Amino acid sequence: MENNKSNDILDDYIDKEYEFGFVTDIEMEVAPKGLNEDTIHFISAKKEEPQWLRDWRMKAYHSFLKQPEPTWQNFELPKVDFQAISYYAAPKSGAKYKSLDEVDPALLETFEKLGIPLSEQKLLSGVAVDAVFDSVSVATTFKETLKEHGVIFCSISEAVKEHPELVQKYLGSVVPYSDNLYAALNAAAFSDGSFVYIPKGVRCPMELSTYFRINTQNTGQFERTLIIADEGSYVSYLEGCTAPKRDENQLHAAVVELIALDHAEIKYSTVQNWYPGDKDGKGGIYNFVTKRGVCKGAHAKISWTQVETGSAITWKYPSVILQGDHSSGEFYSVAVTRNKQVADTGTKMFHIGKNTRSRIISKGISAGEGQNTYRGLVQVGSKAENARNFTQCDSLLIGDRCGAHTFPYIESKNNTAMIEHEATTSKIGEDQLFYLNQRGIETEKAVALIVNGYAREVLNQLPMEFAVEAQKLLSISLEGSVG
Amino acid sequence: MIITTTLYDQLSAQYAERETATAEPWLSRLRANAFASFTANGFPTTKNEEWRFTNVTPYLKEAYQLQPAAPANGGSAIDLSALDAYEVVINNGIPVELPVAKGLSIHSLKEAANSPIVQQYLGQSINLSQQGFAALNTALFTDGLLIEVDKNASIDKPLLITHHYNAAWPFFAQPRLLLIAQRSSKLSVIERYVVDGQAALFVNGVTECVVAENAQLDHYHIQATPTNFHLVNFTQVSQKADSLYNNHTYTLPGASLVRNNLHLDLQASNTESHLFGLYLAGGSQLVDNHTLVNHANPHCYSNELYKGVLADSARAVFNGKIMVQLDAQKTNAFQQNNNMLLSDKAVVDSKPQLEIFADDVKCSHGSTLGSFDENALFYLKARGIGEDSARNMLVKAFAFDVTQQMPIAAVRDCVEALITQKMESLYDRV
Repeated sequence: MENNKSNDILDDYIDKEYEFGFVTDIEMEVAPKGLNEDTIHFISAKKEEPQWLRDWRMKAYHSFLKQPEPTWQNFELPKVDFQAISYYAAPKSGAKYKSLDEVDPALLETFEKLGIPLSEQKLLSGVAVDAVFDSVSVATTFKETLKEHGVIFCSISEAVKEHPELVQKYLGSVVPYSDNLYAALNAAAFSDGSFVYIPKGVRCPMELSTYFRINTQNTGQFERTLIIADEGSYVSYLEGCTAPKRDENQLHAAVVELIALDHAEIKYSTVQNWYPGDKDGKGGIYNFVTKRGVCKGAHAKISWTQVETGSAITWKYPSVILQGDHSSGEFYSVAVTRNKQVADTGTKMFHIGKNTRSRIISKGISAGEGQNTYRGLVQVGSKAENARNFTQCDSLLIGDRCGAHTFPYIESKNNTAMIEHEATTSKIGEDQLFYLNQRGIETEKAVALIVNGYAREVLNQLPMEFAVEAQKLLSISLEGSVG
Repeated sequence: MIITTTLYDQLSAQYAERETATAEPWLSRLRANAFASFTANGFPTTKNEEWRFTNVTPYLKEAYQLQPAAPANGGSAIDLSALDAYEVVINNGIPVELPVAKGLSIHSLKEAANSPIVQQYLGQSINLSQQGFAALNTALFTDGLLIEVDKNASIDKPLLITHHYNAAWPFFAQPRLLLIAQRSSKLSVIERYVVDGQAALFVNGVTECVVAENAQLDHYHIQATPTNFHLVNFTQVSQKADSLYNNHTYTLPGASLVRNNLHLDLQASNTESHLFGLYLAGGSQLVDNHTLVNHANPHCYSNELYKGVLADSARAVFNGKIMVQLDAQKTNAFQQNNNMLLSDKAVVDSKPQLEIFADDVKCSHGSTLGSFDENALFYLKARGIGEDSARNMLVKAFAFDVTQQMPIAAVRDCVEALITQKMESLYDRV
C-alpha cells in the first residue's frame, strides 16, 4: 500500500515537465553545419579577431583532430557527430546592444520567462548579469558601476578587442587547447563567453553573473569564461543555464579558466539546469565542460560550488591547481540525477605549494534510473609540505533502479601531508521518515526536508540569490521521490 | 601494444610445446582459451587502469628460466614453529609432502587433473580476459595443490602451506591452488614463502577458493621475502549462501614487487566476508593491493580494513572496489584504508571505489594518509619514552587494529614479532 503510493508519487515526479523547455521564436543567423577550417575562419571573421587568436584556434582545431575519444568515463559515451552541429548562432538584429531598450523584445521576454529580468535588474539585488543567447552575449548589465571600481566585466569577444594584452596572457594558460577533446573543440570553435578582470586590491562590489541559454536547434554552445583576480582582490561569480526541450541531444562544451594571484579569492557558483531529456532519456544536453582554476599566488583561494540538476549527461571536474604557498581550494557539489540522467562529476586538487589546503564536499542524489558518479583526484606533490585535504562524498539513493559510484584517486608523495577521504551511500532512513511522519509532516515534505538538510552544507555556500533558486530547483527535482 | 620480452617468447614457446602434448580435452580447451586471453593484451602496462601505478615491465626483463633449479632446502624467515598445524611444502611449485588429515584431502593438482571436481571448478570463476597474469597461469601452470575439505568436517588444526623456492638462477614460477571447502566445513589455511638463493624470482600465483554453503574458510597470507622476490598473486573466492570467508594478508619489507589481487564473488545471499591487510614497506619496495568485492546477492556483509606503513622510498598502491549489483539489496559493505608515511620519499596511491546499483544498502569507505601524530609522540616523550620506542609503539598501535583480527595466537605472535623486527631494521636506516 505504502509502496504503491510512493510509486505513484515517484511516477508523478518522473513525469514532471521541464519548466524552461520553451523555444524563443526569433530570427537567427546560423552558421552552416559542420566543423572545418572554414568554420573557424568564419567565426574568427565574425568576431573580427586578431591574428594570434586565429592561429591559436587553428592549433586547437588540429589538436582536436588528433585526439581520440576518451574511454575511461563511467557511462556509455554517446557518439557525437561533430559535423552535424552548427558552431555559430546569433540573434540577427545586431550583436551587442548599447542599452536594454535596443534589445529585441522577444529576447528580453525570454530572459524574463527564465527569471532573469535584465531590465529590472537595477531595482533588484544588484547582480551584474551577462546574458549569453546561443553563441553571443546579448546584454551585460551594470557596466558603468563596475567600471568605477575598475572591474572589467564583458563578453570575451569584447575583451579580445579592448583588453587583448590580458586575454592573450591568460587565455589557455590554465586549460591548454590540447587538454582534452572537448577543450580542444572549445578552443577551436568558442563563440563567446564572459571575461572578468578584478584589479589589485578591489573587492568586486556586486555578484557577477552569466546566464546561458541554448535556443536554436542543432547548435552547440561553446562558451569560454576567463576570470582573473589580481592581487588582493575578491569576486563572486554565478552561472546559470537552461535550454529548450528538443528530441535530439545538444552539445555544450564550455571551458572556464580562473586565475587567482596573491591573496586573491574567486568564488564560482553554478546552478546548472540544462534540459535533461524526457523520461525515456530522449533528448537533453550533453554537458561536457572543462573547468579549472589556478591559485597562482600565495594565500590565493578558489572555491567552486555547483548545483547540477539538468543535462542528460553531466561530465565535468572543476579543479584547482594549488600552486602558491598557503593557497586553498574548495569544491562543493550537489548533483541530482533522475530519469535516465547521468552525472560523472567531481574535482581535482593539485597540491603543489607548501601549506596548501583543500576541502571537497560532494553530495550525489540519484533517483529513477539516474546514475551519479563522483570521480576525484587529490594529488600531493613532493614539495607540498603540510598539505591538507578533507574529502567527503555522500550518495543518497531514491528508488531501486538508480546507481551511485565513487572513484576517488588519492596520490601522495609527501609524508607531511594529511589526507582524509570518506564516503557513504545509503537511502533515506525509514526511521527518519517515520519520525517526521509521526510529527504530522507528510512523506513528501519529509523527504524534501531530509534532502535539503543533506545538501545544506553545499547550498550554504551559494550566494543568497542563487541559494533560493537552488533550493527551489532541488525541491522540484525531489517532489515525490520517496524511497 | 604488447611488450615483448624474451620471457614472452619463452612462454609462447612453452605453450606451443604443451599444445602438442596430450591433455584432457576440457583442460586443453581451458588452456587455449586462457592463452588467447593472455596474448590478446600481453603483460599489463601502466596504460591499463588496473595497473596504472604498478609498472611490471622492468621486473619481467630478467633472463628468467621456466625450469627450476634443484629443490630448495633452507630455513624460513617466518618462524611458525609454535604453530601446531598440518604442513604441506610446495617446492619450486611442486608439492612434495602431502599430509593426511581426517576430513581433508590434499592432492597434487597435476595428478588430480582428471578428477571431476577439478573440471568443475578450475578456472571457472576468473574473468580471464581481464586478468592477464591469471590467464597466463591458467594456460601454463604445471602443478599445484587441490585441497578439499569434506562436507561437515571441521579440521582440528590449521593447514600450513609453505611455498619454497630455490633461486639459484632467475626463475619464473606459476603455482596454482584450488581450495574447496564443502558444505558446513571449516578450515584455516596459512600460506608463507621461503626463498633460497640470490637470483631473481618471479612468482605468478593463482588461488581459487570455493566456500560452499555454511562453510567457513580463514585464509592467511604472510609475505616476508628477500628483495629478489617478485610476486603477482591472484586469489579468487566464490562464496555460496551462509558462508564465511576471512582473509588476512600481511606484506612485510623485502620483496621488491608484491601485487595482491583479491576478488570476492558473493554468489548467494547471507554471506559474510572480512578482508584484513597490513603492508609494511621499506627500501624501494612496491606493494600493490587490489581487492574487489562483488555483491551480487541480497543480505551480504563485507568488511575491509587495509593499513599501510611506508618507509624509505617505498611505494604502496591500494585499490579497493566494492560493486553492489541491482539485486543486492540490504547489502552492508564497509571499507577502510589508512596509510602512514614515515619518510619524505614514500609514495601512496589510494583508490577506494564504490559502484552501487541498489538503493537499500549501507556502504561506506574511508581513506586516510598521514604521518605520526605529533601530539601522541609528544605525549609519549613527555613521559620519558625515547623517540624510537615511541615511534615503534605508535606503529604497533596503528597495526594493532589489523593484527588483533587474527584468531590463531601462534600466527598473531609470529606476525607481531616480524613487525617489530622489521620496524627496527627500518629505523636503523633512518
